[in-house]
Amino acid sequence: MPDTTRETSRAFRLGVAGPVGTGKSSLIAMVCRELGDELQLGVITNDIYTDEDARMLRAAGVLDPDRIRAVETGACPHTAIRDDVSANLLAVEDLEADFAPLDLVMVESGGDNLTATFSPALVDAQVFVLDVAGGGDVVRKGGPGISRADLLVVNKTDLAPYVGVDADLMLREGQDARDGRPVIGLSRTDPDSVAELRAWVLAMVASHRDGHHVPVDPGPMAPHSHAGDGARAHSHVHDGGDGVHAH
Amino acid sequence: MLPHPEFAAMLLADGRLPVGGHTQSAGLEPALLGGLEPRDIPDLITTRLRTVVLVDAGTAVVARHRTMAGLPLDDVQLAWAARTPSEVVRAASIAVGRGQRRLAQRLWPGSAAASALAPLRAPARPVAVGSMAAAAGLDGARTARLVAYDDVQSLCAAALKLCPLDPAETTEWLLHAGPGVEAVVVAVAHLTEPDGIPALSAPLLEQWQHAHPTHPRRLFSA
Ligand SMILES: Nc1nc2c(ncn2[C@@H]2O[C@H](COP(=O)(O)OP(=O)(O)OP(=O)(O)O)[C@@H](O)[C@H]2O)c(=O)[nH]1
Ligand SMILES: [Mg+2]
Repeated sequence: MPDTTRETSRAFRLGVAGPVGTGKSSLIAMVCRELGDELQLGVITNDIYTDEDARMLRAAGVLDPDRIRAVETGACPHTAIRDDVSANLLAVEDLEADFAPLDLVMVESGGDNLTATFSPALVDAQVFVLDVAGGGDVVRKGGPGISRADLLVVNKTDLAPYVGVDADLMLREGQDARDGRPVIGLSRTDPDSVAELRAWVLAMVASHRDGHHVPVDPGPMAPHSHAGDGARAHSHVHDGGDGVHAH
Repeated sequence: MLPHPEFAAMLLADGRLPVGGHTQSAGLEPALLGGLEPRDIPDLITTRLRTVVLVDAGTAVVARHRTMAGLPLDDVQLAWAARTPSEVVRAASIAVGRGQRRLAQRLWPGSAAASALAPLRAPARPVAVGSMAAAAGLDGARTARLVAYDDVQSLCAAALKLCPLDPAETTEWLLHAGPGVEAVVVAVAHLTEPDGIPALSAPLLEQWQHAHPTHPRRLFSA
């Protein structure tokens, strides 16, 4: 069936972005482990050079390997999630069609720098993942993902004592940079933090189902003034590509 | 109202057109992984222009003609598939063809191109490009030039990611490909029937591309 007339059960599409090695794949595996029994899941990975992430996730055994697909990005991980989302959009739609009905499709961006964020034409919401090992000052450096992603995760809090970082301070600075948007300090060794992540994902899926969730664009690579952001994010939602459906 | 044909041609030839083209290297990465020496890349461009690009450009020109005439595109797609023996190469082309169709339907909703492309399960890239060229008001020659130019510029852009090169050098390759691109235009711009699409093959290039998915380390999907 032609791509554009496929209206078959659109899943909630969640982007996972953040610098290399901060734990994007681990977070996705965690969500699969935590919610695989209650939600129908799919995963798209965007590796820069290999299909390492897809293979790692398949090997983790947390999801049917057929529901994990890799997209090559032609050495342009930014482009593939922002300027030209075609390859990812088709992969998401194929997954949704092949395993209908899916509740949640997670898209992992190719690990990149602080400025990469997803286009609202590709995802409904996005998580930006940092880790304490990247240094306590990363949050202060800011960027659209840190300031305005739907969720900021400061991962690997268990490592904080070993890398000389004050995880609580990092979380507070994250909160300051985000005008009240949520921040989770996460560690796979801290069940409470895992529960917090789990609850956030479930709430987002529910809000998408009810039609309450409105995608918000964290904005382009250069940070913008706060005054302009609301209007900008709004206009993106309404004039978005055919991947954006206001529900 | 149709855009000016020069304007339309520039719009469609932009390497940043959001159709997924940046995920492919026009066969360059497969060739390099298959053993092509970087110094031979200009020869690869020439070979493509004399073989597979003629197939694709001819397909696009015929798809454009069929779209304008309100005729279905199935047999154009079949003629292309018959001339593109590797299912890997076909799948790569279709991946971008689907992106191209999505954009055509967005930019020219309700056009003859949108209706011609809609019933195809998954259009090949040149079929979608040719149909879109009809919507944009390109003639056959501009359509052929678009396909040939796009092949060379995709390859040149990919070369910068794959080899240590001065960007001015790849731009020079593109410039020097001009006469080869015009030869493609002359060969196919007049075509109207699927049977007339050139049926050339480049077995070594196709073999390299066919093996691409088996390489563990790659930047591009094709
Ligand atoms: N100590 C600790 N290590 C973690 C945690 N989460 C992930 N890691 C480790 O961090 C490393 C990177 O994790 P990945 O999930 O592969 O990170 P990624 O962001 O997907 O990496 P790229 O895709 O390469 O950018 C792995 O060695 C993980 O085991 C955590 O909560 N605590
Ligand atoms: Mg990863």
